[in-house]
Amino acid sequence: MKQDAVLNIEGLTVRAASGDVLVRDVSLTLGAQECLGIAGESGSGKTVTAKSVLQLLPPDLRASARSLSVLGKDILSMTEPERRRFLGCEVGFVPQNTVAYLHPLIKVKRQLTDGYLCYHDTTKREALERAHGLLEQVGIRDASRVMESYPGELSGGMRQRVNIAMALMSDPKLIIADEPTTALDCVVQQQVVELFHSINTQRHVAIVMISHDLNLIRRYCHKVAVMYAGQVVETGDSQAVFTSPKHPYTKALLSVVPRVDQDPAARLSEIPGYVPETGRDTDECLFRPRCAECTQACSGAVRCLRGADRFVRCSKVCEEAGA
Amino acid sequence: MLKLLVRRLLSALAVLFVVSFITFVVLLCIPGDAAQLVLGVDATPEKVAALREAMGLNEPWYIQYLDWIGGVLRGDWGTSYVYGENVWTLLCQRLPVTFSVALLSMLIAVVLSAVLGILAALKKDSPLDILARTVMQLGGALPSFWLAMLFMLFFASYLGWFPITGYTPMSEGFGACLRSIALPSFVLAIGELGILIRIVRSSMLTALDQDFMLSARVKGLPPRAAIVRYALRSAVIAPITISGMQLAKLLGGTVIVETIFALPGIGRLMLTAVEQRDITLLQGIVLFITSMVVLVSLVTDLIVMAVNPAIRTGEEAVSR
Repeated sequence: MKQDAVLNIEGLTVRAASGDVLVRDVSLTLGAQECLGIAGESGSGKTVTAKSVLQLLPPDLRASARSLSVLGKDILSMTEPERRRFLGCEVGFVPQNTVAYLHPLIKVKRQLTDGYLCYHDTTKREALERAHGLLEQVGIRDASRVMESYPGELSGGMRQRVNIAMALMSDPKLIIADEPTTALDCVVQQQVVELFHSINTQRHVAIVMISHDLNLIRRYCHKVAVMYAGQVVETGDSQAVFTSPKHPYTKALLSVVPRVDQDPAARLSEIPGYVPETGRDTDECLFRPRCAECTQACSGAVRCLRGADRFVRCSKVCEEAGA
Repeated sequence: MLKLLVRRLLSALAVLFVVSFITFVVLLCIPGDAAQLVLGVDATPEKVAALREAMGLNEPWYIQYLDWIGGVLRGDWGTSYVYGENVWTLLCQRLPVTFSVALLSMLIAVVLSAVLGILAALKKDSPLDILARTVMQLGGALPSFWLAMLFMLFFASYLGWFPITGYTPMSEGFGACLRSIALPSFVLAIGELGILIRIVRSSMLTALDQDFMLSARVKGLPPRAAIVRYALRSAVIAPITISGMQLAKLLGGTVIVETIFALPGIGRLMLTAVEQRDITLLQGIVLFITSMVVLVSLVTDLIVMAVNPAIRTGEEAVSR
């Protein structure tokens, strides 16, 4: 484990009350000021992983891990008040859904400041000024009007900016963004991603960004983790992973990204089959039924390649590497 | 906001006008001669004819209607045949009874349903939730006349805590008055409780399931602040609307409970008016009840407007 790691997950497993395993043996690390992208299909456990890190899982899901530390603190052993203070002061979260994340009946200024006022010994006025300043920093021109507005009076892009400002209120060192651009149109998507990029580079906040959008991760994230069926199948520096993907699933994901220069008449390519929802609690390769490259070596427990900057969960890759 | 209010007031007036008209026409159509009823079956046809003329019953119906509504607007609601008194005076005599019972029972229902409904939602499937769900079912299922008699038998007759029947006016002491309306209020409250708990519980469950509760958690708000400021705030709207409707209904008097507890309220006045074919009184009562319903729902709407900014700013509701 790196000493300056902002996030260090080892062997995270999330189970539902029914006993089903949603996420199994996930290990991730993130250094200070880094930006990590988590990619994968719907149902691959990206959001569950992110929410486990912030202990925001719904009550019927249980997370366990060999080690789960954020900003050097062991999340799993925290008491409830400690956990609240930790959430309120040290990490930020930006949601996918911009419609219901802000309370429709409460003015923006109150929602921006209420959490901050809980944990900072300061005046309401200072909190409001801080919120106003942050709204301007996230690119809202008429911050005074937005402060006095109800969320329903704002557009989706504006609401997401407010959400980001809200996450920044307590000066977090880590922000986890759960598909922050999903519900936005593409112009606003671009603006929001640029905003995250500047938060990362200028405010030096480490960011975990969950996204379906591989191009976005490739452009803005230092590292990438590809998840499949509740497991991390490949991690590494994003340039390395995107230029020479090793895991067959990563390759498949990259091959289905539509390109501008492709023949408009041609059918878009796809990965046949579905992400398995059950039976995730196994040591075998979960991608095998859909894998185009699977060989004799792939039966039985899957082997993992653990390089300095690369992790690949694939027996075939291990075999080829002679490991 | 102001525009909305004016629009709302105008539509309330229109409703009142339409209801007054329909009541009048319907009552006109029921068989039976009012003059004959007043004078009795032994009256000579001459006398009946003379009274018909004096009561204006020989005029065309629209003149009769205009006479009546004109009187109402001037504050003269007509004279009851049965009581020989002004209808407005009669209503004013009965009002305190019906009002105090209605308000007390709504108070009981609102407080109990708020406590039970919120706790049941917070501790879903706990014994408390099961209790709330039972009350929900029973409140709706138990007939009020049976419950009234049961309460009378146990609390008034056996335990002697409350008078069995009758109404003690406020002028004879607050405590005595409260005791005389306590049992009927409880009986009515239980009837309303069923629906109200259901609404409170389900709106609270919906609110707790919303994404803004996640946002409250992310900000590290203590659970109590999150529940009060976030969940309750969005869960109160439906219960306010429903309890407004319930109050309006109770203000119109409750025939069965008033009869069983021998309370001289609007409900019993209405029963007498119907039994005796007292058309003028009946018209007055229906108009009064309608006005109550319109007024209460107007006030309810104003409260909801105060709570929900989406309505205030004239937008579509933002909450899902």
